[in-house]
Amino acid sequence: MKSLAIYTESESKQNLLVVNGLKVWFPIKSGIFQKTIGYIRAVDGVSFGIEKGKTLGLVGESGSGKTTIARAILRLVKATAGEVYFDGINVLKANKVQMRELRRRMQIIFQDPYASLDPRQTVSSLLREAMIIHGVTKNKYEAYQKSLELLRKVGLDEEHLYRFPHEFSGGQRQRIAIARALVANPDFLILDEPTSFLDVSVQASVLNLLKDLQKDFNLTYLFISHNLAVVHHMSDKIAVMYLGKIVELADKNSIYRNPKHPYTFQLMRAIPVPDPEAKKKIVPLEGDVPSPINIPPGCRFHPRCKYATEKCRKEEPVLLEKNGHMVACHYEIDFSSGKKIGEMSNG
Amino acid sequence: MNSEKNTEKTILEIRNLKVNFHTYRGEVKALNGVDLKLYRGEVLALVGESGCGKSVTVQTVIGLLPENASVVDGEIIFLGENLLEKSKEEMRSLRANELAIVFQDPMTYLNPVLTIGTQLEEVFALHKNMVKEAALMEKTGKNFKFTEFIGKKNSGSMLVDAKVSRNEIKRAIKKLCVDILKLVKLPDPERILKQYPFELSGGMRQRAMIAMALARRPSIFIADEITTALDVTIQAQILYLLKELKDKISASILIITHDLSVAAEISDRIAVMYGGNVVEVASTRNLFRKPLHPYTQMLLKAIPIITKPKERLESIPGTVPEMINPPTGCRFHPRCKYAMEICTQKRPKLKEVEKGHEVACHLY
Amino acid sequence: MQTQTVKTRKGEWEARLADIKYTLYLMKKNPLVMTGTIIALFFIILAFLANFIVDPKLAYPEGYPNNMYPFERKYMWNANHFINWGPGIALYNGPEFFYLGTDGWGRDLLKMIILAIPVDLYNAAIIVIGAVIFGTLLGAIAGYIGGIFDELILRITDVFFAFPGLVLALVFAAMFGRTLDTLRLAVMLVWWPPYVRLMRGQVLSEKQKPYVEALKALGASGPRILLRHVIPNAIYPILVQATMDFGGAILTFSALMFLGFSPSPALPELGNLCADGYGHIFDAPWVILFPGLTMLIISLAFNLVGDGLRDVLDPRLRR
Repeated sequence: MKSLAIYTESESKQNLLVVNGLKVWFPIKSGIFQKTIGYIRAVDGVSFGIEKGKTLGLVGESGSGKTTIARAILRLVKATAGEVYFDGINVLKANKVQMRELRRRMQIIFQDPYASLDPRQTVSSLLREAMIIHGVTKNKYEAYQKSLELLRKVGLDEEHLYRFPHEFSGGQRQRIAIARALVANPDFLILDEPTSFLDVSVQASVLNLLKDLQKDFNLTYLFISHNLAVVHHMSDKIAVMYLGKIVELADKNSIYRNPKHPYTFQLMRAIPVPDPEAKKKIVPLEGDVPSPINIPPGCRFHPRCKYATEKCRKEEPVLLEKNGHMVACHYEIDFSSGKKIGEMSNG
Repeated sequence: MNSEKNTEKTILEIRNLKVNFHTYRGEVKALNGVDLKLYRGEVLALVGESGCGKSVTVQTVIGLLPENASVVDGEIIFLGENLLEKSKEEMRSLRANELAIVFQDPMTYLNPVLTIGTQLEEVFALHKNMVKEAALMEKTGKNFKFTEFIGKKNSGSMLVDAKVSRNEIKRAIKKLCVDILKLVKLPDPERILKQYPFELSGGMRQRAMIAMALARRPSIFIADEITTALDVTIQAQILYLLKELKDKISASILIITHDLSVAAEISDRIAVMYGGNVVEVASTRNLFRKPLHPYTQMLLKAIPIITKPKERLESIPGTVPEMINPPTGCRFHPRCKYAMEICTQKRPKLKEVEKGHEVACHLY
Repeated sequence: MQTQTVKTRKGEWEARLADIKYTLYLMKKNPLVMTGTIIALFFIILAFLANFIVDPKLAYPEGYPNNMYPFERKYMWNANHFINWGPGIALYNGPEFFYLGTDGWGRDLLKMIILAIPVDLYNAAIIVIGAVIFGTLLGAIAGYIGGIFDELILRITDVFFAFPGLVLALVFAAMFGRTLDTLRLAVMLVWWPPYVRLMRGQVLSEKQKPYVEALKALGASGPRILLRHVIPNAIYPILVQATMDFGGAILTFSALMFLGFSPSPALPELGNLCADGYGHIFDAPWVILFPGLTMLIISLAFNLVGDGLRDVLDPRLRR
């Protein structure tokens, strides 16, 4: 088994995006002199890689840090430690020129279609602005043609060019956001809960669109969501996050059929399934989702874990790999019987 | 109320409800003849996407429509009376006693400057008879639980003259509050009574709201998208709680959600809404096993299911109808692959096709 | 190719026009606001036409130079010159009917008020526009950049806040003389601090919104985001405040005049006219009553317009 806190050089080359030991800590200040009395450890040591053309799904609940990771990768938020490599370029240390290039190649679609577009800009205006920023074209006629092309790619049309965001439905706004992201032919798209605010049927069409675009343009996706069914549908591999750390990472079927971490197992069981015949019924996980201000000692999940032992309370488990399936837990557990069958260790 | 009404199967019936909104751009015909029946003691899920009118339906039932809305047609029969004919005062009294509703975002619906305890007490203050009876039991040293009072709506009227001191009333109310918080599985209820809404987590606030709704001992408990804003594990907790409460509170539960999976987990029957109409009603089992309406069929195909993975999800062609100039006849016809001539002309009415399974479609 | 570009421009304009039409429609719905708007418009039009309706020379009695320094009254108040309603003998004109009476110099009060309106409105406009531009820019910088700039700008603003407005204006006027320009500047000095605070607050809250983050992710530069996105979105409360302040600016400016800081005692200006009548409240109350009433109506009208604008521009109430 290998400890995967750091990716090796050769592995970094295969992956389009590599994140190594990323930490994002927000200082808590108090007092007249604004002394730092503690940290919100939103992201506390996360490493993963995404191969070109593939999708990595990131699941977790509020407080897990998944949104912060997205922002840290794009440098919208300052990372406290760790590295991010995009196509070999060190993102966190990139200079202005490199950053321009990176911003063109890495794009993000946000969760709230109602707030991620400037309410005072028409569609045509915001597409043209993206073109100006990325230096695609300044010629008005070319911009017009390209705008039409992009809109048609996402399933909209010319009549939508001169409307304001509030005149569109949620699904249409997300499409506009996607069109804007595609202006400069990016390689990598971070999708931060892109369909959470959308209706089921609209979600289906947006997800289909995303899949088509991925195929047509060989895009790489980081798909963040709390909806496990959607993540499972979209991703090749899934990483489960809890309180700032990845607790399990594997290909999507293994995560679902063979979860190794107690949290993943509970998550799978908590999903309501639209199939009243399904045998499994919801058995909820006790306790509240904790906040990253008071992180429990030892294994972060131990206060809510059925199988917690003394060791779990004291020692923090490391993310270890076995047959391509990574998990951060001290024990190997057989969930159907509820018994621990072994201990995970380095070696 | 005579005993005849109390044993009737249907506790709430909405017939041909039509509601319009007056806006700058024109008349929004939000509800286009909604037919719905809620049976005694069941859990009915009202499912639909945004804009289908499910929230408007519920708002009309409880009498809290916005200023620019008007009811154009229809009836809402509750316990033998038409709610649409009631005055504001009467509706207010109904909301305090019979119709309880919990909304999606507890942070905006709970008063941020009052403690949970104060807000609960306010609800109990409206139920003087129950409080008096509880106080009497307190006085005589008898132990009581909140659940005992459910279903005893009118029994207290004989105790109007009974003498109870203020202290006893206070203690009785406090005990009722603690009791009801225990009922919704909030840990450490005494402490929570003293806390403000912002001190609680999302899931706990939602439970507090449920407690406040239950304190009214309602006949109908309405939950409007209560789990939409919650994390998956917390949503699971709340759904589990509702399942448990189902048996204890002898009320009918109307759940509004856009998530068919949530409906599948907890409801007995599901009603599907589209474009201001109810298009299909069936038991949960039958709806999933054999969806009859084309919309329901396509909706089920659009949901990603882990146990049955697909390469592509089937989306429904076209867009949600614009309610100012809605499609003629059946509002789903522009998007329906089985659309016939008659579908553009006449709106189909809900018809029972199999036992307990109703559809509004010209195919049947 | 040319026709295509014309099409894109037109489409953009049409969309914005439709937006404005919607705003006007919303304003029409509130009767109070409509009243305020009509009155305000009436006064504005009057201001433009005033100098054509009434001969401006009427303000200055025979031979009186308009910008005389030092301050000197050449004409003494004379009870004979106060005439109320009805035919009377003006100082330098033949018998005429004075609708609002005359002031101490025998000038037709109605005509003086009409002449005063453009003076007041113009000065108030300059004051408010100047204060808004200056205060808003500072506030936007403070809010957007934050850090040291924020602290610095806020502290300077606080200093100006600390002085009671009128006193500061008086000091300034006393120091720099009594031309209309210096007086305008003096009042402007007093008016800009609230806009800094207002704009800063708005910018701070807009900064947090997702679309700003989206623009940053796109690679938009700070100044671009600030000038083209944040400020246009944050400006609405400023517009509301500015409209309401219009009335306040008239009042402050008039107050300065009233206290005797006018460049010339015969200047037709509402505050000045009030000052004249102040000493004779009991025997000739109309001299102070009518200019005062006019000030009241103008302020009220703009206040109502501002109020209506606020309701109309509230993004939550739209659509």
